[in-house]
Amino acid sequence: MIPIRRITHLFAALVLVGLWAVAGADSAQAAAYYPISGSGSTWSQNALDQWRSNVARNYAMTINYNGVGSTSGRRDFIQGTVDFAISEIPFQAHPEDGSASEIPSTSYAYMPIVAGGTSFMYNLKISGQRVTNLRLSGETLTKIFTGKITNWNDAAIKADNPALAMPSKTIVPVVRSDGSGTSAQFTLWMSKQFPSMWTTGMTSQFPLIGNAKAQKGSDGVSGYVSQNYGEGAITYVEYSYAKKAGFPVVKVLNKAGYYIEPTAPSVAVALTKAQINTDTSSVDYLTQILDGVYNSTDPRTYPLSSYSYVIVPTQVAGIFTTDKGNTLSAFMRYVLCEGQQQADTLGYSPLPMNLVLAGSDQIKKIPGSGGAGVDTSKCNNPTFKAGDSPSNNLLAQTAPQPQACDKQGTTQCTTGTGGATTSTAVTGTGSSGSTAKAGTSSTTAGTGNSAASNSTAAGGTDQSGTVTDGTTTDGTSLDGTSAAGAISGSGAASSPYTLTDDGTGSNRSLMMAAAGLLLGVVILPPLLSDRLKGRSKP
Amino acid sequence: MTLVLDEAGLALAAPDKARAINVLPGLTDRIFRTVAYAAGGITVAIMVAVGLFLSLRASTALRVAGFSFLTQRAWAPEHQIFGVGAVLFGTVTIALIALAISLPLSLGTALLLSEVVGGRLRGVLVTLVDLMAAVPSIVFGLWGVYFLQAEIIPVSQWIATSFSWIPVFAVTNADGSSATDASAFTSSAFIAGIVVGLMVVPTQTSIMREAFTRAPIGEREGAYALGATRWGMIRTVVLPFGTGGIIGGTMLGLGRALGETIAVYMIISPIFDINWQVLKTGSNSVSALIALRYGEASDFGLSALMAAGLVLFVLTLIVNFTASSIVARSRSGAESDG
Repeated sequence: MIPIRRITHLFAALVLVGLWAVAGADSAQAAAYYPISGSGSTWSQNALDQWRSNVARNYAMTINYNGVGSTSGRRDFIQGTVDFAISEIPFQAHPEDGSASEIPSTSYAYMPIVAGGTSFMYNLKISGQRVTNLRLSGETLTKIFTGKITNWNDAAIKADNPALAMPSKTIVPVVRSDGSGTSAQFTLWMSKQFPSMWTTGMTSQFPLIGNAKAQKGSDGVSGYVSQNYGEGAITYVEYSYAKKAGFPVVKVLNKAGYYIEPTAPSVAVALTKAQINTDTSSVDYLTQILDGVYNSTDPRTYPLSSYSYVIVPTQVAGIFTTDKGNTLSAFMRYVLCEGQQQADTLGYSPLPMNLVLAGSDQIKKIPGSGGAGVDTSKCNNPTFKAGDSPSNNLLAQTAPQPQACDKQGTTQCTTGTGGATTSTAVTGTGSSGSTAKAGTSSTTAGTGNSAASNSTAAGGTDQSGTVTDGTTTDGTSLDGTSAAGAISGSGAASSPYTLTDDGTGSNRSLMMAAAGLLLGVVILPPLLSDRLKGRSKP
Repeated sequence: MTLVLDEAGLALAAPDKARAINVLPGLTDRIFRTVAYAAGGITVAIMVAVGLFLSLRASTALRVAGFSFLTQRAWAPEHQIFGVGAVLFGTVTIALIALAISLPLSLGTALLLSEVVGGRLRGVLVTLVDLMAAVPSIVFGLWGVYFLQAEIIPVSQWIATSFSWIPVFAVTNADGSSATDASAFTSSAFIAGIVVGLMVVPTQTSIMREAFTRAPIGEREGAYALGATRWGMIRTVVLPFGTGGIIGGTMLGLGRALGETIAVYMIISPIFDINWQVLKTGSNSVSALIALRYGEASDFGLSALMAAGLVLFVLTLIVNFTASSIVARSRSGAESDG
């Protein structure tokens, strides 16, 4: 399936490059692109890595990228050690957290490259079964990351999740140890929405509070959560990392009262409310003001949606030359059009037309771009067709309305989220499901009466009745029976064998690489022993 | 000529004086001498330059922080509050744990290589140990994070529950109750220490092996002749002879463990408090701190990191000088130098 798609992409890309060549603007240089390098955000790195490998294959373009965190990326740009930087937030001339101000000495421009949702990836099991349908309100999330809620069976979490019997397990918030745009986006959202609880304002350096662990980079935090010992952990990371790791993300409550997952459409809908700085003379031209997103009352909105930006130089200085500008602008043209095709699959959301057009103007400012922007009639961006009005966003228009079970209240959808697509058994009625171990019915009195039979009857797929609840569940937070009733209506498919394979994902492959190297070290010496024979002496 | 004749009395004493030998070294000798002196000189000059560079760059931060730099347990250069108190503690903790792991391992390996196995097998094993030193530390780090950590947690839990009466092995929650969750044991100084310990094993092994193989054959055979078993011979001849090698190798390993960066950086969850509970999440080390923060540091922040680097530089220098002086003063070391 994927190879076919790849081939179509490749074909489309080839056609596109052919068109450019015909257009002639940079046909001379198109053959040999000068390698460029950048650094910064790990939030958008998954998308960027995909694009880099695509252009390397299709156009022989070498784009080096180092995901060192947005703060380091901006710093590298200021110091002139990279050709471009990627960051979620603009240069901080007056950082709220008191760190040194960032003022580049050369001219630059911001250009959005991709949209996405800062998601909350978690690793939680109820009696050995992975929970994939957790929902949380913004207030609960803020309390978790400020150390006010420390246990998964907190009343606030139970209220958000009527269908889950939350286990008594310590919450381990996993935060970024490096300066990060993801931290900045998350803290900005908390400081705007819950200023009384989050008082430090927007900061790239997430403070270590309470039980929290700090890990480096998006890979670090998602890697921690996806390990076995990460059970009970929750982190904030771009949606794509959860998809890649095969782990679920929290559905976050929006202002319309729905719990929404940061899928491409819900991010696209949310960002229709983003205010973009359209003052071309402003230093922060094209940067985002997200208050409208946070407060959007569209029920399809994922509130923590945002754009990621590339910072491109607009003058030749230091290591940046027009040759490099040619590569950079060609790469950015690819990103804005062709590259957006894969945004959804990767766990991001494609850019809408108005930003593609604005980005196109920014590309023209890059020295060496030859003044070539993006031709929207031939742009393969999934959010618009040729001839659409710039304010249109096909993706947002066609975004599905949320399911009724995602509405705040006593119902809860059971379908999986993020990279964990399997449904979660309904356990929250305080009952242990069906025919399971006798010992598990030690639930608090008076709740789980008919719930057990309800859930199993409804979810008639493949369960062998191991919907157990060995933990000290107490479904008292909600009226157990009514919740169960509602859930059975929405198809409480309990699937006991649905643990996603933890082994897939980059962590395991990294481990395999390490193991391979070690193996090589072990195997090599015997092979070399012949040479040693001569000089081995006592 | 005339001068000698005039002062005949003095001339009589003159033959006793050693004749000044004017050696005119050949061209190759001169080239060799120049190269050797230059190489040695440049090495020393580079060391001094590193120290000087660190001191210069660190001076801005050190002037602000003063002596509290060594005691302060926080890292916020933007607020002028920073110091390596806790970081230094973490560095030393990790290094000591590493030594506790590596010392028995390398001592055993060195004895095995020098006394037990022989012939081709020894050559292969020696190469294997040396190759272990060539494994990049990032590989050790990846292995530590993605494999060892998950596997070692039950061990940590067992130590914490069985030996909780030893304060450093207890793992407690914020409220003082003992922690049992696997998550309380991740990213700890213990795990980082194990990985670093395995990394310094080859260094220590080769130094110890070198010292052991130098144990005089006459003494060895003497011990055997007096009826000693192999172990008896090792105990009475090899180990006493190689004491300098053991201590020196250990100290050199310590020097490397103190400076190990990437593996520690990948494993620990950096904190700026002194964490006595080595099995519990959270530690820090100077080099990991520098690796983590230098990319995003402001000029002043960079100066503060340089100051931290200077402290580590001095610490490592002290350790290594102590090590080399011990090695040189020991019997095996003196013979190897002589």
